[in-house]
Amino acid sequence: MEIRENLCNGCGKCVIVCPVQAIKIIDNKAVIDKNLCVECSICYRNAECPVNAIKSRRLVWPRIIRNPFSDVIGTHKLTGIPGRGTEEMKTNDVTNRFGTDEYGVSIELGRPGVGTVLKNIELFTTKFSQIGVEYEKMSPVTAILTEDKVNIKDDIKDERVLSAIIEFKIPKNKIDQVLQIIKEVEKEIDTVFSVGIVSRVMKDGSIPIIDILDQQGFKVNPNAKINIGLGRA
Amino acid sequence: MILAMLAAGINDKYPDSRQRLIRIAEIMNKHNPTNIMMKMAWKISPVITAAFTDIETVKQVIQTLKEEDLGVSIVISGLISEIKETVKEIGLNMHTVHLSLGTFGKKELLPSAKTLEITTMCGHHCTSSQSVEYYVKLIKAGKISVEKAAEKLAKPCVCGIFNISRAIKILNELVNQS
Repeated sequence: MEIRENLCNGCGKCVIVCPVQAIKIIDNKAVIDKNLCVECSICYRNAECPVNAIKSRRLVWPRIIRNPFSDVIGTHKLTGIPGRGTEEMKTNDVTNRFGTDEYGVSIELGRPGVGTVLKNIELFTTKFSQIGVEYEKMSPVTAILTEDKVNIKDDIKDERVLSAIIEFKIPKNKIDQVLQIIKEVEKEIDTVFSVGIVSRVMKDGSIPIIDILDQQGFKVNPNAKINIGLGRA
Repeated sequence: MILAMLAAGINDKYPDSRQRLIRIAEIMNKHNPTNIMMKMAWKISPVITAAFTDIETVKQVIQTLKEEDLGVSIVISGLISEIKETVKEIGLNMHTVHLSLGTFGKKELLPSAKTLEITTMCGHHCTSSQSVEYYVKLIKAGKISVEKAAEKLAKPCVCGIFNISRAIKILNELVNQS
């Protein structure tokens, strides 16, 4: 994004809507901190700039990588769905992506609303490489990992995005190792991250993973996303 | 919140897949959602979303979707205990759950918990924390109604899952506590 200085009247409407606080008023003009800006286009769409000073500029590599991880508008070329996530468990009744002997894990770096540089992903992937996880092929994060699934490609490591979701699945017996890695990374990371666990529900309606997580010191929120099994192939 | 999604490469191969999604959107819309994905997106998006204020309405929507048997995946977001009972009463079973373990890391970078209750209603975090603080100030100054402020905060959330009724409740709490 760009703010045309000659048009800006310093009203500050764009400052208010920016989700990562990348816009400041300096000498009565709105100025975007290019390092903090994640190219989400929210200011462009929602600031209602009275003088049309906000301009969507053509992004070039590597900065262009910020946009699909930050801007919800538009369908991601890889996933085929809007936003930076994947279908994950939302269509599991049709795809059987997560079987009864597996758990899915999603780690969303930068969420909620803080943002992250892409190299933070490596804090997890270097550790996950030692236990072996199966990354979601359609995930935008998987697409930017090196072939060995350990590192982020060099030229985009320092790019900042609103959030990036590491998605993978594991056999049930690896959940303790994953939880341990989450505890370790929490101490060294410079941003926030949200964690989700996907599990099939037992036929009697129970969800045994909740007790397992509790024993490991992880409190499960009372709210969840629940696929109710109405889909079919 | 209710979400309907076509499984890529499977459901979207149905010749009438778009009509099925639009039918789901019409059912959701008929039950007075507090927010729903913008209508122009119904024709292009593989996902349809809507937010409702109470579990009884969610139950009615799910009951209708079950009867119409459209074969599209449906996800409900809300309290596990409530959803479990609701789907059981309709004769359905929960299939897969996505549990949230919350937020980790540098939590000192986050705004107040009450502000987060509003900003996290948009799953893509398109509503900023400054805008919440801004509208709380305007409400206190009598320059905007709580209802209008909630609508303004919902605007960046293009998916339509931002719960406007809940935002009104939280804004009232924020105005009264400070």
